[in-house]
Amino acid sequence: MTERVARVSVRKQFWRGVWRALRRRPSRLIGLFIVLLFIFMAIAGSWFYPERLPYDAENIYAPISWEHPLSTDFEGVDVLALVITGTQGVLLVAGAAGLLTMLIGTAVGLYSGYNRGIGDSILMRIADFVLTIPGFPLLIVLTTTISLGSWWKMSLVLGLIGWGSLARAVRSQTLSLRERGFIEAARGLGLPTRHIVTKELLPNVAPFIATNLLMAVTGYIYAQVGLYFLGVLPIDTSNWGVMLNAAVFQSGALISPDALPYLLAPLGAILLLTLGVVLIVDALEEIFNPRLRES
Amino acid sequence: MMTGFARRLAGHLTRGLVMIWVVTTFTFVLIRLMPGDPVQVQIERNIAMGMPPDQAEAAAAVTYGFVPHGPMWKQYLEYMGGILRFDLGVSVESQGVPVADRVLGAMPWTVVLVLTGILVSFLIGVVLGVIAAIKRSTVVGHSLSIAGSLLHGVPPFVIGIILAALFTRQWRLFPSGGVYNADEVAPGLYFDFIGNVLYHAALPAAAYALATYGGWLLAMRSSVASVLGDDFLLAAELRGLTSLTRFRYLARNAILPLFTVLAISFGLVFGGSIFIERIFNYPGLGMLLFSSIGSRDYSMMSGAFLMITVAVIVANILADLLYSAIDPRVRRQA
Repeated sequence: MTERVARVSVRKQFWRGVWRALRRRPSRLIGLFIVLLFIFMAIAGSWFYPERLPYDAENIYAPISWEHPLSTDFEGVDVLALVITGTQGVLLVAGAAGLLTMLIGTAVGLYSGYNRGIGDSILMRIADFVLTIPGFPLLIVLTTTISLGSWWKMSLVLGLIGWGSLARAVRSQTLSLRERGFIEAARGLGLPTRHIVTKELLPNVAPFIATNLLMAVTGYIYAQVGLYFLGVLPIDTSNWGVMLNAAVFQSGALISPDALPYLLAPLGAILLLTLGVVLIVDALEEIFNPRLRES
Repeated sequence: MMTGFARRLAGHLTRGLVMIWVVTTFTFVLIRLMPGDPVQVQIERNIAMGMPPDQAEAAAAVTYGFVPHGPMWKQYLEYMGGILRFDLGVSVESQGVPVADRVLGAMPWTVVLVLTGILVSFLIGVVLGVIAAIKRSTVVGHSLSIAGSLLHGVPPFVIGIILAALFTRQWRLFPSGGVYNADEVAPGLYFDFIGNVLYHAALPAAAYALATYGGWLLAMRSSVASVLGDDFLLAAELRGLTSLTRFRYLARNAILPLFTVLAISFGLVFGGSIFIERIFNYPGLGMLLFSSIGSRDYSMMSGAFLMITVAVIVANILADLLYSAIDPRVRRQA
């Protein structure tokens, strides 16, 4: 009973700390708002727009208006609608891949750092291998045989390519934590390894997992956008990369000023999302590392 | 000291060779064992065009560097043997052109771009990182850090697109493609030619530099912040050394951890070369890989992919050796 009360108050304190860190710099609240906005667009986009966005041959590169706040593309499709519907698939894949990365990276990192020994050196050799393989070239080579257009295959491949750095970060953190007093005390008390790893170690490496995960998910979003931008995936969904590909290589948006919004919209979306993530990471670092707090 | 260095080098080389072996095995599986096996496809297409079966098989053997007949392990051994002799087969798309020639021809251009880009971004990033750390509680420090994180987080192709749009289309200051203008200069070691090459490389190299300097800035900032409180700086100040000398002490110690970042950034930059070279029509390894994928030229594709991996491995080894040569602590550990 008392244990539960204690845990609730710890949780309350944690959220209070989160709120304080967010409020300290308003920019962090803006970052949170931006990222939530993108998640909302991914979830709610399909409520507002039909699966196939309407073409309008009369309205190609329409001037900016209330009806088309970001103009229209070379087929007269509303650009804002393209940007919004382009978030869903990408976020789904990035989220699933991020989950996979988190599972593998955390498990490998905790195991390696806590047990050390031969298993550790083998796993770290593999992690180094995964880190060294040039990920993007590998991805586009894989597109020739595996149809990476399907969301679960894409998530699987991305997740399997990306866990190396998280595993390394978790391992080095675990290595230093396992020599600290409270872990030694837990071991001395004869607590089972399962308890030490899940109740003592995991909460302390969680910050690194959170920060790394956020970066990984953003990286996965851009990897997908990049694949569509190069045009190596079948163009059957809305995606910022498809827009960039058409704008840069096909419709000549780089030359004609009318088509400029069509190029700038996906670029702006990427910049905005990056800004949001950067601002949140800034907040996360302070929440989890109180020493960074400036007096 | 020499034995430590030699052992380090030997360890690197073994790991590098294992990695190359895994990558080549992967490409073999890709071209021979995956559904839609391109070797089989080529043989069947040639037979359909009226070629006798054994001749069609011989043509495929020339393309991929192994005879696609008999037990799979034998084909695999033959393929690996070919790679050991640096025989990467012949291009499917442009018949008769050895893959090794094309890959080696494209390699130097990518290396030139990547090296200039990383060198420039390293210099900018280190200087700005020191400033961001020293002035970290002022507006200047904050803005530098945020700008660094933002550029570090934005994918390289976004920076490439923006540079291309501004400087090759909006203001036509730079060429939109190629490595040099063959109408104006002939290859050779003289001023005009080198100038022309640099003129063509400037924008893509700038794209690399902009895409990576944020990483250096962030790494340098946290490294300087951790060194700032050290006793040796206080001692230097108490001895009355000038601020320039103290800055040199600080920078030399803070810069060490950055060499471990160097290895990671080589991987990223070589990976990003596909985008940058595609956007700026620069005929390096990335462009070669991209075009071979577009035309389903599998032998060229495996060659280019192998070469990119080799480039990353070699760059990693060099970065680590450089690190151990500079930092005496690492040297003694080995």
